[in-house]
Amino acid sequence: MPINSFRAISTATAVFALALGTAGCSGDDQGSSGSSDPIVVGISLPLTGDFSEPGKGVQEGYEAWAKVVNDKGGLLGRQVELKILDDQSNADRVVADYEQLIGKDQVDLVVGPFSTRLVVPSARVAEEYDMLFVEPAGAAKEVFEQGFKNLFYAAPAVANDHYNHLAEHILALPADQRPKTAAYAAMDDPFAQGTAYGLKEKLEAGGVKTVVNEVYPPNTTDFSGIAAKVAAAKADVLVGGSQYQDGVNLIVALQQLGYQPKLAAFSTAPTNPEFAKAIGNKTTGILSPTGYSQDAPYESNKEFVEKFKAQFGKAPEEDQANGYTTGQVVAAAVTAAGCAEQGECQKKLVDWLHSNKVDTVVGPLSWDQTGKPQGAHMIQQWVDNDIKIVLPADVKEADFVYPKPAW
Amino acid sequence: MLLFQSILLGLLLGGLYALLASGLTLYFGIMRVVMIAHSAFLILAAYLAWWMHDRIGVDPLLSMVVTVPLFFAAGVGLQRLLLTRLRPATLTMMSVLLTFAIALTVEGLLGYAFTGTQRRVQLGYSSASFEIFGARIAVVKLIAFVLAVIALSGLYVLMKRTRFGWALRATIQHRDAARLLGIDTERVAGYGFGIGLATAAVGGTALSLDTTIYPSLHWHWIGPLMAIIVVGGLGSVPGAAAAAMVLGMAQSLLQIPMGTTWAQTVFYVALFATLAFRPQGFFGGRLAQRF
Repeated sequence: MPINSFRAISTATAVFALALGTAGCSGDDQGSSGSSDPIVVGISLPLTGDFSEPGKGVQEGYEAWAKVVNDKGGLLGRQVELKILDDQSNADRVVADYEQLIGKDQVDLVVGPFSTRLVVPSARVAEEYDMLFVEPAGAAKEVFEQGFKNLFYAAPAVANDHYNHLAEHILALPADQRPKTAAYAAMDDPFAQGTAYGLKEKLEAGGVKTVVNEVYPPNTTDFSGIAAKVAAAKADVLVGGSQYQDGVNLIVALQQLGYQPKLAAFSTAPTNPEFAKAIGNKTTGILSPTGYSQDAPYESNKEFVEKFKAQFGKAPEEDQANGYTTGQVVAAAVTAAGCAEQGECQKKLVDWLHSNKVDTVVGPLSWDQTGKPQGAHMIQQWVDNDIKIVLPADVKEADFVYPKPAW
Repeated sequence: MLLFQSILLGLLLGGLYALLASGLTLYFGIMRVVMIAHSAFLILAAYLAWWMHDRIGVDPLLSMVVTVPLFFAAGVGLQRLLLTRLRPATLTMMSVLLTFAIALTVEGLLGYAFTGTQRRVQLGYSSASFEIFGARIAVVKLIAFVLAVIALSGLYVLMKRTRFGWALRATIQHRDAARLLGIDTERVAGYGFGIGLATAAVGGTALSLDTTIYPSLHWHWIGPLMAIIVVGGLGSVPGAAAAAMVLGMAQSLLQIPMGTTWAQTVFYVALFATLAFRPQGFFGGRLAQRF
């Protein structure tokens, strides 16, 4: 049913675009140079296919951003208009979409789609046309190894840097309290492994010995073997490069073996709403990095959460926040450079972002020459049946609990 | 210490594998049907156990009172209404397609009814364990193992000691001869299929005790289970049980030196070795020779 309606919409859009195109030929259309014209932002998103769930989340983020900006009178006095195409989670389609948006529709700005697989090809198109390309979700290493000059990832950190605040905190503990050994178990997945190995590198450099280092395939159904290894090594620190069910299964298997680490950190799993129930509410002390929290005290975040709830009737999650953040980054550059159109202006926007810091709902962001963000994720910890920000110190909601109480 | 712990874990794991694979080998024996949907029904049973625990608050084990008869009836229905309609000449091959479709349907309906959210049965004793000579045994794993022992012994007694069991084994061994002896092989095959699916109800319940479940989980199970029944000798329940114990133990022990990724390949190495050197299986009957 949704596929059919999307097909109908895209057919209608195509017919409409064709009609517009032929009409445009006869007229003397100069595009968007007039100062009262809206600023058109071109976006392609995976609204159907593999990434449709997160794709729709990002779309809500973009829409919330456009509404907040327009309610305040727009950018440079011009209203913001989003032009969103559906790329069906398809890498060929996303290239065609951006070609159309930039070349034919002459949009003033473009922002990115969802996930590395679509970000890389679309960033290449933007690069060809010398367009600024801020993207909400392309955190893998490859994105920053392509030599893109116009790309910016609008989130606090790439996977390997997620645990930076935790690593600093652990290594700053007095020598007699500092953990001596660590066990790592990571899913064979670039993101999950990236988070765990980022921390591993830093702890090893700081003298915390690695006693177990297990990688398991995504289809692993039995975690008791991994748990037995970790428990036998009696590691002080346990780091799980997990997604969800693997993290839960591993924790339960470890509980069954009576293993009690002094510190346990898992990526993604602990922030899942089902997590506490799944492991029998024995959550106290479990850590997790997070790119976005509704409770983070950054100035624009309160406004975002409030307006988002009013618009969509639910609280924003990370995907929505990433879309919104992307909008904020572009808006900051446009406001500072005083322009928003194709051509010369794009270079000004890129240069400004390379040398400035932008305040967003996920905190202040700045980038290196490859567009890689220079921050780290906040660290959350389960305290009294709730997950709270504990690191870094300036945004914390609760004190860091160490050593972790028994589970 | 790690070795002893791993042996215990391997034993428990092997028991679970034996239970989950027993139905699969039964279908093949009775009807030469490759039942891709078996693991989907395992997950369905696990979901029903979770649902009853979550909504009504009954222990997952009690859900079997409902799911076992339900699955038995579903199995008989499936065999009588769908599988018997496949042409005998292409039965094995077409049954793969048919049961693949059934697996997709079950998965889709699970997603529709329970959403894709990953679920876990939370019991007071979920993480409880007791110590034995320095190693630990989780209560839920032991329950699953006991369940496997009871179900498999029950199946064994049924096959060896009852008239129906004899008829079933006769049908497995030689269908035409069985029919000449006056056995209603169609009906026996239907009940046999029902029993196979009933083991999925027991297996799924055992699985739900100690696993996080989600609709597409069954794809992760079908591969190892298929390998087990081939190694054990297609159609042989004791063979499948023996192969499950050996492979479960091998996986658990190989994990120590080789890590999780390589330890999993033991199923497929065993599968290839069996097909290359002893296609009739290492523990079971001579069924495969007839193909």
